[in-house]
Amino acid sequence: MKTKYLFPYWCKYLGVICFVAHVPVMLFVKLKKETLASNFSGAAEDYGIFSNHHLFFVITTLLMLTGLVLFAFSKEKIEDEQISQLRLDSLQLTIYISYILLIISLALTTGNDFRDIMHLFIWLPLAFFIILFRWKMFRNSRYTKEDAI
Amino acid sequence: MKNNIRVERAIKNITQADLAKLIGVSRQTINTIESNRYVPSTILALKIAKVFGKPLEEVFILEDGD
Repeated sequence: MKTKYLFPYWCKYLGVICFVAHVPVMLFVKLKKETLASNFSGAAEDYGIFSNHHLFFVITTLLMLTGLVLFAFSKEKIEDEQISQLRLDSLQLTIYISYILLIISLALTTGNDFRDIMHLFIWLPLAFFIILFRWKMFRNSRYTKEDAI
Repeated sequence: MKNNIRVERAIKNITQADLAKLIGVSRQTINTIESNRYVPSTILALKIAKVFGKPLEEVFILEDGD
């Protein structure tokens, strides 16, 4: 089946590699930050666009997001119209869940909490989508196994 | 919409996996079509009918509620 806007199957593995790779990078940054904080307590932190803080944030977020996007939107081994339908259903449900949560968060938070929630919503819809789609795929294959018995 | 895929497969003596391979879909898809949990597109329905060498109406049958 010809599909538009999907990455090749092998990109799924690249996605996993990117996502797993972001964990040690993030841990390294967190550890470094803690060491710096204990050495220079009270020193003003630089939050400019080319600061270490921002660059590390960009690197870790880019790695994580690239990983999630590649994993979520790469073709299955046998890509057919039923899988496309499952993907579309999951995407629709993800948008509903994400926006309901976002609207609730908008109503109940202010200031820094809101900024944290926006940080969370960088990756949360993708995570929802992956979980929903994988769950639907798992359920589909389980039905098939039950029917085979 | 109901279908006679299971019967046609038995006549032709092919498994779900064989049929799936012939039309380029997964076995799960054939299984869900057979058990009426998924309605295939026109293209897929035509491909299935072509494998069995039968007109589309003999493989897929409309029900009263459709």
